[in-house]
Amino acid sequence: MARFAMLIDASRCTGCNACRIACQMQWQLPPARYYNRLEHNEKGTYPNTKWEITPIQCMHCDNPPCRDVCPTGATYKRTDGLVLIDGKKCIGCKYCMVACPYGVRQINDDGIPEKCRFCAEYIIEGKMPPCVSTCMNEVRIFGDLDDPESKISKLMARKAVYQLLPEKGTRPRIFYVRK
Amino acid sequence: MVKISRRTFLKASALAGLASSLPLIMNFGDFTKAAELLPVTRIPTMCNGCSSTCSKYVYIKNGRVWKVEGNPIDLKSSGRLCARGHGMAADVYGLGRVTQPMKRGDDNTFEPISWGQALEEIGDKLYKIIDEHGGNSVMWLGHGGKEHYASTFLDEIGSSNYVTHYATCFSSKTNVWDRMVGTTLNSDFDNANYMLFVGRNFAGGIIPGAMNRITKAKERGAKIVVVDPRYCELAIIADEWVPIRPGTDLAFFLGIAHTLISEKLFDRSFIANYVYGFEEFWSANKDFTADKAAEITGIPADKIREIARDMAHNAPKAFLDSGYHGLHAHYANSTQIAMLNVVVNALLGNMFKVGGLMPGASISLGHVETPLRETPEKGPRADGAGVEEEYPTVEPGRGIPQIVPDLIKKGRVKALFIYHYNPLRTAPDPEYQKGLKDAELVVSIPVDWNETSLHTAHYILPESYYLERTEPPKVVSGFIAHDNPQISLRRQAIKPVHNTLPLLDMLKGITAAAGYYNLYPFTVEDEIKASVKPLGISPHVLMETGCIEFPANVKPGFPIKDGKPAVNTFTGKIEFSIGAFKLYGSPGVATWVPPLVMPQGEDEFRLIHGKQPWHSHHITSNNPYLMAISDMYNGTWAWMNKGRAEKLGIKNGDLVTISSEKAVKTVNVKVTELLHPDCVWIPSAYGGFSERLKTAYQQGINYNDFIPARVEPLSGTVMGQEVVVKVSKGGIS
Repeated sequence: MARFAMLIDASRCTGCNACRIACQMQWQLPPARYYNRLEHNEKGTYPNTKWEITPIQCMHCDNPPCRDVCPTGATYKRTDGLVLIDGKKCIGCKYCMVACPYGVRQINDDGIPEKCRFCAEYIIEGKMPPCVSTCMNEVRIFGDLDDPESKISKLMARKAVYQLLPEKGTRPRIFYVRK
Repeated sequence: MVKISRRTFLKASALAGLASSLPLIMNFGDFTKAAELLPVTRIPTMCNGCSSTCSKYVYIKNGRVWKVEGNPIDLKSSGRLCARGHGMAADVYGLGRVTQPMKRGDDNTFEPISWGQALEEIGDKLYKIIDEHGGNSVMWLGHGGKEHYASTFLDEIGSSNYVTHYATCFSSKTNVWDRMVGTTLNSDFDNANYMLFVGRNFAGGIIPGAMNRITKAKERGAKIVVVDPRYCELAIIADEWVPIRPGTDLAFFLGIAHTLISEKLFDRSFIANYVYGFEEFWSANKDFTADKAAEITGIPADKIREIARDMAHNAPKAFLDSGYHGLHAHYANSTQIAMLNVVVNALLGNMFKVGGLMPGASISLGHVETPLRETPEKGPRADGAGVEEEYPTVEPGRGIPQIVPDLIKKGRVKALFIYHYNPLRTAPDPEYQKGLKDAELVVSIPVDWNETSLHTAHYILPESYYLERTEPPKVVSGFIAHDNPQISLRRQAIKPVHNTLPLLDMLKGITAAAGYYNLYPFTVEDEIKASVKPLGISPHVLMETGCIEFPANVKPGFPIKDGKPAVNTFTGKIEFSIGAFKLYGSPGVATWVPPLVMPQGEDEFRLIHGKQPWHSHHITSNNPYLMAISDMYNGTWAWMNKGRAEKLGIKNGDLVTISSEKAVKTVNVKVTELLHPDCVWIPSAYGGFSERLKTAYQQGINYNDFIPARVEPLSGTVMGQEVVVKVSKGGIS
């Protein structure tokens, strides 16, 4: 069984937003709806400054609070690690939106709080999510942690990584390369 | 000249448009349903989100564009696309497109007309103008590209007036490199150990393949230094950001050159063997030390020396990137800046060397053979580019687009064709540019209702969108060193959504209607066939792959012929001294030239601009996807240094008024530590004022509003950042 995850090297991100729009095209989202975003952070004072950008999307947590609060079981975790939503079961209560500490859910036209799906239908065919494949700086690495030969497994073995908001106990499947 | 019946041609070229009724946006449920049922086709083509024209694949579902992906063979995309590449693909269904030919009526509104009527009327008027004023009164003003269609027409009528947008963008670079090096050279990102970028933000004016190589170079330990008044996006991945007083880059380069020479760090054998005019350069700049450069630039002298020493230490696997828009059109000393770029790289001895600057691999395409035609002698260029008494050293192949309204006023231009170009928004002083309308015939050929078409065109002939047309192949080149030549091609991916035509069909119609028989006796398919004939490949292979790479034909080493240096200059060497400049009374070598203006008062700033990573030309600011990004990240805001803002009582997000002699505009301001105190920075894409482009309309401001239409005499550029603006808190009262 696969164990899908993503490794993000935020220090390589130069904020072009290709990831956002490639995802929007893939899933035919309207312009103002997006499944990934960039958080900008300026540090220091002129001229000793830094500009840091952190890409954020659904973390596909191993302990997803959005699933735990869902009253109908619409949000579920697939055995390969993907956190998905069954639109037929969703009653639009938005508990999941409130519970997510990363703020990644957005209501779609059918009133369902959608989010990044790790391109569920594509990755099982061995394809890369467009946010990964379009990135000129190769910020994101996507793959199977159970496959020791995968690029992500090899990189994870070499690099120090961290997760966002570890104190929330969500155990995200998105890892960030420590600077 | 044989005048034939126009109607015969027009009948034969009756064309129909096809409108699609499917919505672009389906909801997620619809989409997955559709995805299950519909076959997807993948068509290779070329992007037009900017001028880099990356090769990409377009995925088509149910006859509609679904998504795009970079073509991994292509040097420019390297299989990856930026936001514009994705966004502008969706724009084929955009609401700003001109959907059929238009004619301006007496009441200044546009009336839709048929292609037959449009081409016939334009041809008729053109015939009369040429008859009365001669062919040289006709001007082709374009962004640049598809030169061969335009030049066929201009040659036939005897006009020398082919004018590009380049003087608003980078002509000091091309002018200088051609004269000093005989070609342009590209940064060898793959092999360099030290990269210096000055006023060149590859992460803003993006070439995905270049950024991919730069980040990989960093990964293997190459040092990256970015010198820029703004902490630009490229600085994010650089080892160091060195802020510089805007307008003083020339002094920085002179300081680098002085350090390299005075500390004997330069490549003496390269200079001795391959450079002409070194002594002349050095005797003119002996006194321009790093300390002097430090005074002018605000960069500490030690930092300037450190950069020079580090570069010399890493040479020849070190380069100063040759740059692009940032420094090569916007200062009174842009020509000298370009000259110093050549000087610094030559001092490093990095030219034609691995890890330094290398020529791009090229390959010769074939051409359709057409019967030889007798063409009239051409008159002098209306814009004076290359004309002895006017602008003798400006490249005639590029011209001076910003002064065309004057040329109309002077009676030099009677008929104006504006192709894929929007000078009312992308050239200085839009009010002045509105004078384009006063020509006897103004035909704009856009895809959208741009400002120029709306305010000046007598006829608007909408071109098919780039995804709706097939074009002859191009050699892939520019900015990235590569040993293997590539060609790529734009291929039609969908039927035209609206009643539009490709340029070739328009020109066939107009020229026939004006009486020029069979000027383009070929089809695009004929052109593709002829293009690839010498390469030994079939057109079919290119149509199926979109991009083809050929065996390497570039080797390092200075070009030598008969034992002598043989770059394409008078001496065959790199020329530090430009003979043509001397001939017309300017110094042959570059020395310090101060900027035209300098901000002085507490409320004064130099207004500078740059590309935002998700916008390129103004046209992208009417794209709802790209503008949604602007909305989310306050992309239209002007940037101001925090210390300066505090003195003026300005806080982040405040509305401010920015004024120059030309304009007074209001905009929100981003207060930041990421900008040099002397300037205000604005992104270049905004300031739309065409009511027909609803997404772009009145979003942000544009630097062109604040500057007059001027001409830098050596290279013809606009000097777009030679402007001091006053900034005050609050909107216009």
